[in-house]
Amino acid sequence: MSAPADSAADVLDIALLTLRVGLLSTALILLPGVALGWVLARCEFRGRTLVQTLVALPMVLPPVAVGLALLLLLSRRFAFGRALEDLLGGPVLLTWWAAALASAVMSFPLLVRGAEQGFAAVPRRLEQVARTLGASRVTVFRRVTLPLAARGILYGIVFAFARGLGEFGATTIVAGNMPGRTETLALGMYARIENFRDGDALVLAGISVVLAFGITWCAELFLRRGAGHSGGGTPRAKSGLSAAQGLPARGPLR
Amino acid sequence: MIAFDLHAGYGDFTLAARAAWETPIAALFGASGSGKSTILEALAGLRPEVCGEITLNGRPLQGLPPEQRRLGWVPQDAALFPHLTVRGNLEFAARARELRSRGATGRRALAHAAGDGSASAVTCAPDATGDSMVRAIDALEIGALLKRRVDALSGGERQRVAIARALASAPELLLLDEPLASVDRPLRARIIPFLAELPARTGVPVLLVSHDPLEVRALASHVVVLSAGEVVAQGDPRDVLAAATALGNLEAFAAENRFDVSVLQRGPGTLSLSTTRGCRLEMAAIEGFPEPTRVAVRAEDILLASAPPGHVSAQNVMAGRVTLLESLGRHVLVHATCGDERFVARVTERASSALRLEPDRQVFLLIKAHSVLALG
Repeated sequence: MSAPADSAADVLDIALLTLRVGLLSTALILLPGVALGWVLARCEFRGRTLVQTLVALPMVLPPVAVGLALLLLLSRRFAFGRALEDLLGGPVLLTWWAAALASAVMSFPLLVRGAEQGFAAVPRRLEQVARTLGASRVTVFRRVTLPLAARGILYGIVFAFARGLGEFGATTIVAGNMPGRTETLALGMYARIENFRDGDALVLAGISVVLAFGITWCAELFLRRGAGHSGGGTPRAKSGLSAAQGLPARGPLR
Repeated sequence: MIAFDLHAGYGDFTLAARAAWETPIAALFGASGSGKSTILEALAGLRPEVCGEITLNGRPLQGLPPEQRRLGWVPQDAALFPHLTVRGNLEFAARARELRSRGATGRRALAHAAGDGSASAVTCAPDATGDSMVRAIDALEIGALLKRRVDALSGGERQRVAIARALASAPELLLLDEPLASVDRPLRARIIPFLAELPARTGVPVLLVSHDPLEVRALASHVVVLSAGEVVAQGDPRDVLAAATALGNLEAFAAENRFDVSVLQRGPGTLSLSTTRGCRLEMAAIEGFPEPTRVAVRAEDILLASAPPGHVSAQNVMAGRVTLLESLGRHVLVHATCGDERFVARVTERASSALRLEPDRQVFLLIKAHSVLALG
C-alpha cells in the first residue's frame, strides 16, 4: 500500500502551505500577544499570576489535549465556532485555517513571553522623561517604549513563527491531514513515515531544518545589527558600569 | 513665583513640604532619603500619590498630566533615549512640544473662529520650536555632540545633553536632580558657573536638588532645607546655611547617618562616643566646642572594604553586614548594620560592583574621626 513518491511540486506545495499556516498564525496572535506582553510587564493587577499561568498552559499541556479543546471550541456546538464559520463562509475544522489556529494557540506563549521581557527591559524613567518633555502616552509608547522593546518582541515573533511551523499534535486533531489542503511539513512527515516512505519523510525533514535554520539565522543577524541601541555595542557599555540600560527598580523615596 | 504644598505618606515616611520662592535658581537641600527627589518628581507630575498644590507663575499644576506641566525634568542619571542620537534626543523634545502647542494653538484658533472669526497666528509654533532647540544647543555648547550616539558620551556630556533636551521642550522651569552627582570634581568647577548662568542665558528658572552645601551656596539664591520629608528651614542660603553652621557643622545638616551619643572617654584631640545602640565612634574633638549629644556622618564619608583593612589612619573600623542596596543611578546607597547600629554609605556603582556588594555580605566600614560631625 505504498503511495507514489513525492514530486518536487508536491514538496513545494507542502512547504508553501506550511509557510502560509505559520504566517497566518503569527499574524493572528501578533497584536493580542504584544498587548498582553505589555500588560504583564507594566500593569499590576489581581489575577496576574492566573493570567500568566493560563498563557503558559499550551506549552505544558499535551498538544493533543489543546487540539481536543480547540476541536470542541471550533465545532458548531459553540457560539465561537458558529461565528467563525459564518465569518469564513464554511466549516473551519479540517481547513488550513484550523491548522493556523492550532499553531497560533500553541505559539502564543512564546510571543507573549518575548514581548513581556522586551517591555520589562525598558526603563520606566525613560518613559517618564518622555512624558515630561510633552509627549502623550501614545507618542511615548510609539517612539520610546516600542523601539526599545523591539528586540524582545522580535524574538517572540521569530520563535512563535518557528514553533508554529513545526506544530503537530494540536494541528492533526483540528486540521486532519489532507494532502494539498492541510498537509504541513510536520503532518506530511508523519504520514510518510506511517506509509514506510522514509525517503520522502527525510526530504520534508530536510526542508524543515533549512527553514528553521534560515529563520533563526536571519533573526540573529537582524537583531545583532540592531543591537547597538540596546547598549551592547560599545566598550563603555560592556564594562557593565553604564547603568543607563538596566536601571534597577528604585524604592519609593530617595 | 513658584510655590508648592505637598503631602504623602509611605508607610513610616511622611512627606509634608511647603515652600515658595521667586528667585532664578532655588535649591532643595537635604540628605539622601529626605524626600528631595520625590518632591521634584511630584512637581513633574510623576507621583500621583503625592497630593497638594503646586503653582507656577500663577498657573495651578496639580492634576495636570506630566506632558501639560511644561517642566523640564532632568533626572540624576540623565535618562537619555539610548535608541536615538544626541540630535534625536533633542528633536524628540522639540517635536513633542510642537505637537502639544500645535494642538493648543489649533484649539485656540477654533475658539477664535467660533468667537469673532479671526484665525490668529497658527504658524508661529514650529518657528518657536526650532528656536528653542537651537537656543538650547547654543546655551549648553553641545553643537559638536549632535551626531554622537548617547552611549558614547561622558558623564558631563550626558548631563549637558539632558539639560539641553529639557530646554528644547521650552519649559517654564527646569528641575535638575543632583546635576553634578555624575560629574567628577575638576569638571564640577567648570560646570557650576555654567549652571549659575543658565537662567540668564535661557530665561528659564531652575530648581535643583543637592546634598552639597557648597553647591547650594555657589548656585542658589533660595534654599529649601528638607529633613525626613519636612521643610525645616528655607530662605537665602547665606542665612540658612550660616544658621546651620552655628548649630554645629554645615555638612552635618545634610548627613544621612545621625546618632544620639554619649561621651565615653576624652583623649588628646579625640572623643570616644557610644551611640544609644552601643556602637563606639571616635571623633575629632574641637577646642572650645561643647561636647556633642548628637553626631552625624555623611554617607559618602564612609569607606567600605570587603576584607579587614590593615593599618589605616581611619579611627573607626567596624565589621558590618550589608542589608540593602539602593541604586541612585550611578551611585549606590549601601545600608549596613554594625552590631545593632545601622549605617548608610554612598559609593559609586563601580565601587559597589568591584566589591561585589550584595545583601548579607560582610563589609568593613571605615570612618575618619574628622568625618564624625557634631550636630548638636
